[in-house]
This record gives sequence, structure tokens and C-alpha cells, in this order.
Amino acid sequence: MAKLVLNRRTMLRGMLAGSAVTLGLPTLEAMLGSHGTAFADGTALPRRLVTWFFGNGVRLDRWVPKVQGANYALTEELAPLAKVKDYCSVLTGFDNKAGFGRRGHHDGVAGAFSGYPFIELDAGNSNYSSKFGGPSIDQVAANAIAKTSPTYLPSLQLGVSKRVTTGEGPTLQYLAHKGPDQPLPSEHNPQLAFAKLFGSFVPQDDHSTKLRVTALDAVREDAKRLQMRVGASDKMRLEAHMESIYLLQKQILAIPPVCMKPGEPTQTNKDTDGDEPLEAVSKAMADIIAIAFACDLTRVVSFQQSGSVGGTVYWMTGATTEEHGLTHDAAGQELVHKAVVFNMECFAYLLEKLKGTTEAAGNLLDNSVVYLGSDAAEGITHSCFDQPIIVAGRGGGDLVYPGIHYRSPTKENTSDILLSVLKTVDPTATEVGKDQGYSSTECKALTA
Amino acid sequence: MALREKYLWGVAVTAAALSACTTGTLSDPPVSGGPTTPDVPGGSQAFAPPAPTIRRLLARQYRNSVRDLLGPAAAAAASPPGDSALNGFDAIGSAQLGVSDDAVTKYEISARAVATAAMGDTARIATFLSCDPAAPVDASACRKDFARSFGRLAFRRPLDNEEVDRYAGVAEVASAEIGDFNSGIEYAILTFLQSPSFLYQVEIGGVDPLRPTLRRLNGYELASRMSFFLVGTTPSPELLDAAEKGLLNDADGARKAAQDLIARPEARTALNSFYSEVLELRSLDGLVKDENLFPQFSTKLAQAMREETLHLIGDVVWDQNGDYRDLLDADYTFVNGDLASLYGLPAPDGDGSNFIKVQLPPEQKRGGLLGQASFLSLFSHTSLSSPTLRGKFVRERLLCQSIPAPPANVNTVLPTDPNAKTARQKLEVHQTAPGCKSCHVAMDLIGFGLENYDAVGAFRTTENGEDIDAKSEIEGMGAFEGARELGGLLRDEPKVSSCVVRNIFRSATGHIDTSGESPEMKKLDASFVDSGYRMQDLLVELVASDAFRLVGVVE
Repeated sequence: MAKLVLNRRTMLRGMLAGSAVTLGLPTLEAMLGSHGTAFADGTALPRRLVTWFFGNGVRLDRWVPKVQGANYALTEELAPLAKVKDYCSVLTGFDNKAGFGRRGHHDGVAGAFSGYPFIELDAGNSNYSSKFGGPSIDQVAANAIAKTSPTYLPSLQLGVSKRVTTGEGPTLQYLAHKGPDQPLPSEHNPQLAFAKLFGSFVPQDDHSTKLRVTALDAVREDAKRLQMRVGASDKMRLEAHMESIYLLQKQILAIPPVCMKPGEPTQTNKDTDGDEPLEAVSKAMADIIAIAFACDLTRVVSFQQSGSVGGTVYWMTGATTEEHGLTHDAAGQELVHKAVVFNMECFAYLLEKLKGTTEAAGNLLDNSVVYLGSDAAEGITHSCFDQPIIVAGRGGGDLVYPGIHYRSPTKENTSDILLSVLKTVDPTATEVGKDQGYSSTECKALTA
Repeated sequence: MALREKYLWGVAVTAAALSACTTGTLSDPPVSGGPTTPDVPGGSQAFAPPAPTIRRLLARQYRNSVRDLLGPAAAAAASPPGDSALNGFDAIGSAQLGVSDDAVTKYEISARAVATAAMGDTARIATFLSCDPAAPVDASACRKDFARSFGRLAFRRPLDNEEVDRYAGVAEVASAEIGDFNSGIEYAILTFLQSPSFLYQVEIGGVDPLRPTLRRLNGYELASRMSFFLVGTTPSPELLDAAEKGLLNDADGARKAAQDLIARPEARTALNSFYSEVLELRSLDGLVKDENLFPQFSTKLAQAMREETLHLIGDVVWDQNGDYRDLLDADYTFVNGDLASLYGLPAPDGDGSNFIKVQLPPEQKRGGLLGQASFLSLFSHTSLSSPTLRGKFVRERLLCQSIPAPPANVNTVLPTDPNAKTARQKLEVHQTAPGCKSCHVAMDLIGFGLENYDAVGAFRTTENGEDIDAKSEIEGMGAFEGARELGGLLRDEPKVSSCVVRNIFRSATGHIDTSGESPEMKKLDASFVDSGYRMQDLLVELVASDAFRLVGVVE
């Protein structure tokens, strides 16, 4: 019987600004070529990128593997990765050169996730604040993917612990940043995250679809007029606003995904007696990522397990004090260690979930890269040398497999790793970061 | 002037190598990115405000505006995206940060829900209509009239013909598609609520005839600015009428309008929002304490802490219209049953839910905001008090001084000393170690004097069996023990009242005051002092000031 072959890109019923709108469709068997490793038209399977963050670093003596290469043994803090070790490369001895000792945590997270030195907003006599110096790596990737193969959501921002630091600006509060002035807040409620992906598709005969687009056309006309009256930076803000409206219009016109029928999560991230449901939320969010990737609703996710500094209490470890305070307490280091192990268990759950989701002849983790990092090597010192970094997934075959432990002998730039990660989803990328954090050289150890 | 120099000199001597902790003086802040101030013969500076920026409505301003435009049911349906603070203020974030895709999606969801709910209030909708929506004689004209009348309130200014046609056009398309006049109105409303002219405060101004290098906000822009500032919501139709009549074009007109606004009950709510932000009371919602050490701590108690603080502010600012500085060292407070128990006071009559005014017991040396459980709990760790966090708050939020970061790559773990029982003893090394000393002296010496209050603000005289020494001294300000004496020192410190002026200004205008605005800031400082530190007077004079009514050239 002849195999049904669907065109990878299907024209949607909507027309916007005179041009047809197309969005990616989920990978269906009917679209694949005979080997199941690419689409029938020869194009490659989708590549995805996840950034995964937890705050306040690790205990290096219990994190760094003793030997290098593929035969490295998992240390106490890496032990949860046992089932996905082949997919994990542990990178140590790197220097976050964009974080050159201006302010702990700010240096760490901005450098390790963007390669740009952060921007200080200290006006001399007000509260300290900072912004990212440039786009975070996930947004660089999302921007590139949006140009070549736009998905329903260009990217998805998820968070687990709600106790993030809000008083020192976007750098500590958010993980994803389109640019210094456009931080992207995380969704902390799994039900709402799910709704962002699946909840807004309207039945095709709903006439509100057309009218909502009409209303947004009028809004964009207003924004254009206002743009002519304002200053340069406001022009850019309104431009971004209009781009978001245009994206929303495309989303309104999108057809519901032809995909597995996912179950709606029950988790809403409500505390019980002051305890956050960290494990349940982290797992629910990981499940959502797997569905979003399988249905090709987005290819880029940022995941903030806990915030930079933050006020997360890892109660399941026996802690009654917030993690950041413990890192600065000599007697708190054992609990810090236990929190790292907990976070790695959550990280491992995501990797196992992606590995367990079949795609074509392989699994989602084969076609994804998951970059794990923190905002300091160890919370005690806020050091930006030897920050914990794991690159997981095969990146569509671009990344070394089985995974290795590589310890840089020369304090290579963490931005080299970012470039390698970025290139798995955007082969045309040649550089990341700026100034001290700039890199145009990939991390060779990661190359397959 | 003499006092400031004395202060600077004093600290500079103790912290010669690390002067960063002391650079945050008030009168001459180092400004980055602000306009340069031309020198004027005679040495005085010329007033040179920064270029204006558009400001996205804060979530609370959005909700309040929807309430005033479309009624309580519509307001209940509103779900705007949240705010992001910069330099400690949502208003500053709203003037700089762009919206995300997610925020735009949330605005659309909110606008649709609000519009649907609003159509249920037919009496209110009818006030915007010139026809019977069930049988419109000239539907087209009626839609245009709606766009004009509702649009003027939503955009806080009259619409031009192009805009009227655009919104009437949306209504017409929707009306034709669905086959009913009201649906057109509903779609027009949801479109208005997503327009940048509703979502952003636009404060561009026009050339000031008296000073051509400056731009004066037009009456409508000023009406919006003062209304969102003083009552947290969109300008009333009456205020827009005043703008239209040109009554807001000078300082006296602005002053009179401001006086009318602060007489409204929403003025109290708006000032509570300001204090909730400056005092970080909003963080009480998610505050966690070690449940083994503080079994009495609960979400309910945390909310009571917030109420206590707002009660004192309401009493001093609104009920008494008294000296603002009483907030620093008042010998009374307001407690419910839970707080009375925390403070070791007799339980109030009744079921304990009411707040009553009580005298504070002198032996606890409690008084003012810094003796309240809200401040003492917020600026503590989950298990332990934190002299450092408490001191940092006083420096940053009450004195407007910045505290720089700890030096890079310093091991911040305190040495374990079995003989160190109290927080003060444990932090001793920070008072002497060269890399730590300058900033920790500036912060911790404030907090040491508050060590008789634990991590939830309860009074204590010992820690780990050791007597607590809460005697302290702040360089340039004097010796003290306990919250009330600290409040007394701050009461006499001119930096504190200047900092109040600046914090209010920053919240009101969405930017950190620049050096070009310094002349106007100094005038406001002086008028605040002259008024006997009356907050109500400060709010009014701020609105009447050039710094509030004028902006720089659009860049």
C-alpha cells in the first residue's frame, strides 16, 4: 500500500498582510523518508535546544569527575545521570570570561548563558540592578530558528521555584532575554504552560479568529503612528511590541497540531504549608517539554529550576533555610550538596523523558541539545571559574557520543561551549557573546 | 552642606581604601546616561530634565483603569501581565523594558475577557452610546460617537478622525460578521484595551513657550501622569475636562488638581502601593521562616505584619497629616491578636482580627517602622536575624546609598568559632577584615543595634544562651540601642527626608533623578522641610514642580 506522504509545511487557512502564513507541523511518520532519519523531501529532523539553570552552584569536590574521556565515573552529584550518562558531557575547568568579577551571581548567570558581560544599572544612589548584556543563547537560537522554520511558539520559558530574586533587576530574575531590555518571564504553573501550547487553539469555524486578527491589525496601526512621535529607544520597544502582535496573529490563525492527545497536567505549583512542590513541578514541566518537542510546537526552551540567589528552600533535603543562605554558612555545605543532587535528579528526569520519547528512528534527545549551568562555581565564593556545565543530547549527531568528561587545561571560555551548543540548531552561527565573553571558536571536545 | 561633608569625611577616614561604600551621596549622584548639566554663571545649575520615555501601565494601574472605564465586573475579568522592577521600582522597569510575546498574549486574553464582562453592564455601555443598541437608527454614526466618547477616556485624550474611523471600523466589521450591533462595540473595546495609547503613558509634551529648550507636558499628559501617580488610575472625566480647558498648564493649576486627587480614597491605596514597594512588603507574601524555630510564623501573621506597617503609615500620613518622620520613631503601633502575641502585648478585645492602636513597651526599645515585624522579618534569614540585610536596607532604601558587591572570589563563609554565640560575635571578622570592612561597617553597625529582635521580629535578650549586646553607633550619626533610638537618629538625618523625596519622584516618573534635575530636587527637599515634613504637601508640591511637569527633548 502506498505510503501517505504529507508535505512538511502546510499552508494555513489564514492570510496575514497579504501573505500566506505557515507554521511547522509535528513530525508524523507519514512525512518521513524510508529510513526514518529525515523527512521524505530530504530535510533533516527538527533540532531543539534547552537551557537548564539552577542557582548557587555546586560543591566542586563532589561534582568534578576524577578522570576524563568517555569512561569517566559519575561523582556523587552527577550520580542521578546514570541512565543517560551516554548522552552527557561534563565540562570542567572552563572560565566564564564574560563574568570578570563585578558582582557575584550576576556575572555567573549572564556570562554562562549569553556570553555577554551584564549591564550595570547602578545609578549611584539607588538599589543595585543589572540587565543581561545581550540575548541569552536560547533566544539567539530561537531567533535563527524563527527565520528558517518558525514554530507555533518561538520559544518557551519555564520556571519551577517561584522564590526568585526580584530586587536586583532582570539578570537574576529571569533566565531568557531577547536583549538587555527584553527579559522573558518564566511560567511557573504547569497548567498555564500547557495552556500556552494547547489551550489557545480555537475551532476552525470560530468567527472570532478573523475578528481578533482584525482587532490586532488596528492595534498595529496605532503602534506605527505612535512610533513616529517617540525617541529612538521607544521606537525599538514599539517595534518589538508590534512583532509580538504579528506573532500572536499568526498563532490565532494556526491550525490545531496534529499530534498525540496530551493529558493536561494537574499540577499548579501551589505551596503546601510554605513548601514548594519542586519535584512535581519540575517533572510536570519536563513532560510539557517532551510534548512540545514531539508536536514541534517549539524548539527552544529555557528552564529555570531555581533562581540566581533566590529564596528556594529545598525542604526535601531536610533544609529549613533558603539555599543561598546555606551556601554562605560553613555548617550548611552538606545541605547545599543535597540540594545539588536533588536538582540533578530533576535534570535527569527531563533527559530520561526526552530519551524515552521516540522520534523517527531515534528519540528526542538524539535531536536535542540540553545545556545545564548555574550562576557560580560554588555559592561560597561566587567564582566564575569552573562553573558547573553539562551538555546533554546528541544535537542531531553533531555532538560527541558517548558523552565525555573534558577538563580544560587552558581555562577555555565558556562561550566556546555556547557556540558549539548554538551550532547544533543554527549551523550558520559563527560567534557568540561580546567583549571579554566573545567567542568564535567552538569547544572542540564536544564535536562528534 | 556642612553635615554632608562631615559625614563623608568620617566614613572616608574609616574606609580609605574602599570608598565605593560611601560614594552614594544624595546631592551629587554620579549619573550615567543622563543629560549633562551646563554650567551657569554664578555656580548654580540649570534645570535640564532627561528625554521622555513611554511607560507601560503597571498591572495595578491597568486594573484600576479598567475598573474606572468599564466597572467592577470588567475589572474582575482583567488579567494583565506582571511588572518587572529596575533599581527597585516597577515604574522604572515599565519605562525601559519591552514587552514579551507572552505579555502581548496576556493583554489579548485580558482584553477579550474584559470586553465580554463589560457588555454585561448595559447601563454603563449606554453612557457611551448615542443610539439604542437594539435598534440603532444610524449605526455608523453611533459607532463613531462611541469611539469618540469611550476612546477619550481610554486613551486619556481626544481621538483624531483617523483613530475614530479605525475603531468604528473594527466595530463595523465585527458587527457585520456576527450580525449584531453590540458585538461591534465589544470588539471595539477589546481593541482599545490593546492599543499602545491605552497601554503606555505617552509623555512627550510640547515646546515650553517660556523656555524653548524644554518641553512641557500638555494638559492631558499631565492629567494622566498625576492621576496614575496620586490615585493609581486613569484620569477622571472631570480631570480630562480640566486639561481640555487649559487649567493644568501652570504650576498653580497642577497644584490645585493634585490637591483634589489626594482627597480621594484611592490616594491612600496608591501610597500604600508605593510603600509596599519601597519597604518590600510585597515579599511578605512568599516569606518563609524555619518552622521549628518559629512555629508562630504563618502566612496569616506575615499578612498582619504588612497591615501593621500600612496602618502606621495611614495614621501618620492621612489620619493625622503629621510629620513624616514620626514613621521612624513612633512609640505606638497597630496590632491584631497574632501580632500582640508576637510582641508580648496583651491581646486586644474581640476575636483578634481587628487592629488596635497600642503603646509600645519601652523596655523593648521598639518604635517606628524599623521596630516593626515586617521590616525585621523581611530583612532576616529563614532562621537567623541579619544585621547585614537590615543595615543594607536602611542604607539603600532610607538613605539612598548604594552598597557595592562583595569583592570577587572572596570566600564569604564566616570562620566557625565555637565561642561566637551571637550574630554580632559571628560577624566580628567582617568589622576588621580588609576586603569586608568598609561596607560591613556601614551596614552591620546599623543592624547590630537591632539584635534584640529575632528573625520574625520577636523581642529577645539572649541568643544561644549569650546576652545580646545591642548597643551600636553609626559613624556621623551617633550612638543608639534598639529601633526607636535608631529611628531618632534617622529622624534628624537630612539624607532620610531627601531620600523620601527621591523615592517618591522615581516611583512617580519612572526614572532615577538625573543631575540635570538636581535643582528641582533641592527645591522639593526644602519645601518638604518647610511643610513640617508633611507627606501630603510633598505629593502636591512634587506634581506642581517643574521636574514633574516638564521633560527634555525627545531623543
